[in-house]
Amino acid sequence: MKPSWLVTIVGVAALAWLARGLALPVFLALTFAYLLSPLVAWADALAIRRSVAVGALFTVMIAVLLVGGLLVGPRMLTEASALLERLPTLAIQIDTSLDSAARELVEAAPVFRRVLPEGGGWVHRFVLARPPGDPSDFFEHAGHLFLFAILVPFFAFFLLRDMPQIVTAAMNRLPPEHVETSVAVWRELNGVIGRYIRGVVMDGLVVGALAALGLWAIRVPYPLLLGVFAGIANVVPFVGPLLSAAAAALVVLLTPGQGLAGVVRVLVLFLAIKVLDDTLIQPLTIGRSVHLHPALLLGSVVVGNHALGVLGMIIAVPVATVLQETVRLLLEHRRVLARRHLRSGAGRLDG
Amino acid sequence: MLERRLPRWLAWAIDREQARRAPFLAHSPLFAGLPRRLLGRLGTRFLEKAYDAGEIVFHEGDPGRALFVVVEGTVEITQATPRGEHVVRTLSAGDAFGELALIDESRRSGSARVAEPARLLILYKTDFDALMDGEARIAVVVMRNLSRVIAAYARRNPVVVTEPAPRPEADERP
Repeated sequence: MKPSWLVTIVGVAALAWLARGLALPVFLALTFAYLLSPLVAWADALAIRRSVAVGALFTVMIAVLLVGGLLVGPRMLTEASALLERLPTLAIQIDTSLDSAARELVEAAPVFRRVLPEGGGWVHRFVLARPPGDPSDFFEHAGHLFLFAILVPFFAFFLLRDMPQIVTAAMNRLPPEHVETSVAVWRELNGVIGRYIRGVVMDGLVVGALAALGLWAIRVPYPLLLGVFAGIANVVPFVGPLLSAAAAALVVLLTPGQGLAGVVRVLVLFLAIKVLDDTLIQPLTIGRSVHLHPALLLGSVVVGNHALGVLGMIIAVPVATVLQETVRLLLEHRRVLARRHLRSGAGRLDG
Repeated sequence: MLERRLPRWLAWAIDREQARRAPFLAHSPLFAGLPRRLLGRLGTRFLEKAYDAGEIVFHEGDPGRALFVVVEGTVEITQATPRGEHVVRTLSAGDAFGELALIDESRRSGSARVAEPARLLILYKTDFDALMDGEARIAVVVMRNLSRVIAAYARRNPVVVTEPAPRPEADERP
């Protein structure tokens, strides 16, 4: 390896390490850019300058967010504050149920005494009665959120505006005879990631809307809040739908007058949404963008959770798809190079 | 296209490069017959790369993944023969090569080498397929044009059968 290459690699690695705090905003900006890219491509086809198209798109989006926030925001805030007010009462109800269930379990099988934590009131002890954090923590979190709200659209704007120039510059620096295959790998991955991200977001929107409507129809409290949660949780494969169904079932369980029949209704609703999602919504939104074996898909989610928690579970599927496609295309490229080498050897022998 | 409908004071909003690309592609035999709207959409899928004289675009036998259109300069298509490399075609601005990559990823039947510094537009099969999924008209027009290109090539290079293929029943039995 040439010393200049070594210096470049070390320099890039050092820069990446120093800028590691920017990884999440850049990742979110990329996701955002992928979501908006079809609209920018549509403007490209009309020969509108990218800076004009992206600027107009961001202006429209800010307007839509403001109007949407004004329309749905107050209702969401009301539901969230009502839930927060009821939280201490709910925690006592959950603790009472859990304590009695644990007592019955330990009486039936004393071996569980070693496994279960000592004492009762788990929700109160572990969730609500946590020592209050340093006041500076609050400002740190608020600062992070504010920074994200600025950085993500900022990066997304420049990614969308300058991507063609970045691609052309990168292509002009690649060795000419490797351009076709190397860029083919990138184009394929770009297509897969774009379709997956847009599909997942569309799927989440439809599932969230269906859940909110269904919960409202069967008179479950906080339908909008639970619907939004179902839409967001749907991004996490396997675990997300279970979590949203469990959250809705818990709310029903703790609502006076709903009882076990209410829980059954909620479970049937989420099962119906899941079946509809798997058979109709996902094929239309995510479609054929992911070609992972189900076992590999599950494995990638488990590994993602182990490595990066919830974020890892969300990015597990596209990352596994990208790795699979990259390995496939690189192996193919290696076979081509070997064949070319063999031919040139044969040519020398002939000559 | 939009640039014709916009008032002059809004001309700054037009991307000149993109506006030139659609009429340029319309002159290529492969995209002849496509309406301007679809040519505009097709134009956004092309990538551009500059090549120096003597650089290889692809080698004979490589899997074909993209179609190339010459914007500037000249490109030679060569084939290896026992006597050495033989120039089959010399291409200049507006000519396309590597068309068969849009059908499948079969191996290149020749090598492409840049004879004079060139700028090439590159359309990857992945992008073309994605475009065809949403616009059946593009698929119909381009595939019809492609069939004409292949038919012309087949007429220029007829297959000559020199000896009959052996029949299975003619095999010797013990």
